[in-house]
Amino acid sequence: MNDLDSVQFSAVIIVGLLVFFYGGTFYISTRIGKKQENADGYMTAGNKIGFGISAASMTATWIWASSMYASAASGYTYGISGPIHYGLWGALMILFIYPFGKRIRSVAPKAHTLAEVMHARHGRSSQLMLAGSNVVGSVISLMSNFIAGGVLIAMLSPFTFIQGVIAVAGGVLLYSLWSGFRASVLTDFVQVMAMLGAVAIIVPVIFFAAGFPAVFESGAANLTPQQGNFFSSDAFLGQGAPYIAAVLAYAIGNQTIAQRLFAVREDLIKPTFITATIGYGAMVIGVGMLGVLALYLGFEPTDGDINNLIPEMAATYLPAILLAVFFIMIIGALSSTADSDLAALSSIMMADVYGQNIAGKGKANPKTMLLVGRITMVVATAAAVAFASLQLNILDLLVFVGALWGALVFPVLASFYWDKVTNKAFTTAVVAALALFLPVRFGWIPMSGGIGLIVDILSVIGIGVVLGLMAFGFFGIRVGKIVGVVAALVSAPFVIGFLHDYATLSASLVAYAVSTVVCWAMSVGQTERFDFALIRQRTGDFDDDDPRRDPTPEPAKEA
Amino acid sequence: MTTLALTVYVLVWPLVVLIVMGVIGRAFFAEWREARRSGQDLI
Repeated sequence: MNDLDSVQFSAVIIVGLLVFFYGGTFYISTRIGKKQENADGYMTAGNKIGFGISAASMTATWIWASSMYASAASGYTYGISGPIHYGLWGALMILFIYPFGKRIRSVAPKAHTLAEVMHARHGRSSQLMLAGSNVVGSVISLMSNFIAGGVLIAMLSPFTFIQGVIAVAGGVLLYSLWSGFRASVLTDFVQVMAMLGAVAIIVPVIFFAAGFPAVFESGAANLTPQQGNFFSSDAFLGQGAPYIAAVLAYAIGNQTIAQRLFAVREDLIKPTFITATIGYGAMVIGVGMLGVLALYLGFEPTDGDINNLIPEMAATYLPAILLAVFFIMIIGALSSTADSDLAALSSIMMADVYGQNIAGKGKANPKTMLLVGRITMVVATAAAVAFASLQLNILDLLVFVGALWGALVFPVLASFYWDKVTNKAFTTAVVAALALFLPVRFGWIPMSGGIGLIVDILSVIGIGVVLGLMAFGFFGIRVGKIVGVVAALVSAPFVIGFLHDYATLSASLVAYAVSTVVCWAMSVGQTERFDFALIRQRTGDFDDDDPRRDPTPEPAKEA
Repeated sequence: MTTLALTVYVLVWPLVVLIVMGVIGRAFFAEWREARRSGQDLI
């Protein structure tokens, strides 16, 4: 067996691996590069990507370095059910969004971003709320992936963290800059093949190299009863339940998902999302099993830092050649998400900021849009490198963005189905939900007595909203309402008087509940109705002169 | 869980990953061949 020091790569080997990976992806991107790129192609690749590329891209995008680290951390912390409570719910994010995705695509077949559709449906404030949260979320994601790359390179080579961050950022920008989303999705195929292949080899190799299955017996004493229980309530309440609450929020709030939704051929949305669900789940849960194995082994990560767990398990139990494969797997995971974030950011700046708000839809110049997209990529990369170098504590910002996405779920989804939802209802609902989320999440007010009871009641409503929306997506309004009401009633006895102690979970549920109640209350009495056919007219290609498109669209008329 | 069940539980995921790899890879190369045959861009 190896220890971390003995298998640390030399500078030459690390440079060789990076050149192999980023040189290869750059070469692939040059194969599809066009001298005159097209603005719509740069954002959505013409809305007609096939199943193979789109399923690969969706899987690769949703898997980032943190997915693997966090799944293993969940296994290490919560025991044998830990990876399930991370990977399964993360996978279901993809699955539960697809029925909504089909609806979104049917009303806006040629859109580029979800925020662009919100502009067509409501107007500027709802668009900018969604676009703003997308920008912050993607920059955070970009920074996190660069940090993961920097940490890995610093751990396994003589290079420093900063040098690692710059190498990864430069590599991703190199192959993404010219062709944008088209390069992102094509390279995703190669990256996901590398990641999946690596997991298929590495997990069994570490399993046997570490002495399993015998260690399941000799190391059983290292697990607490909760860690050894597949139906652990600790794992569910600490990891699974908050994640379930976030399922719809992350899928709705993440432009990388929406971008692929608008790019895939419309009839292939369902198989694409189902394949990505299975691929993501199996891969992330599989890597998470390394955390379970570490727990049985009594493996202690350096400095107690759980983020060191996966690299150190790999360094300890893998021969050098497989450690190189592991390195490529992590670099592939973080690069595929980082290039998707760059493509998402550039689309938002191209379509939402320049296309809709600066030039105006009918007057936007596709060449200027491309320039805006490429400048966005360079600026976003530089900003993410700077933030990564400073190693800022972004937890509060991340929590805030997550809450904003949770508050947006019902108003966004309702806006695609319910013709009574207005811009005022949308905006007020989101702001009200955030206003209640913050004090609950950060403990600004004591949760004792009546306040705690109110939070618990709102949490019950939030549970009904989350499960009701999930059921609605697949089975329609009637089943959705029944599931929502039953879920709220069944959960009430277990939640009231108890859940306010779990701030992360209850705050998310409060955000769902408040945004839903406010949006519903402000919309239900409206007499004016929105014509969804207008969305198709108000969104569309920037490059052609489609005569069906309204050249000077007005913002949605609000009741 | 028994040792056998735990072993299956850990090792089943790489197997599922291999199957997904096969599905995505097959679809990709079918699209690639079709694009070449019809003279169109893959993406």
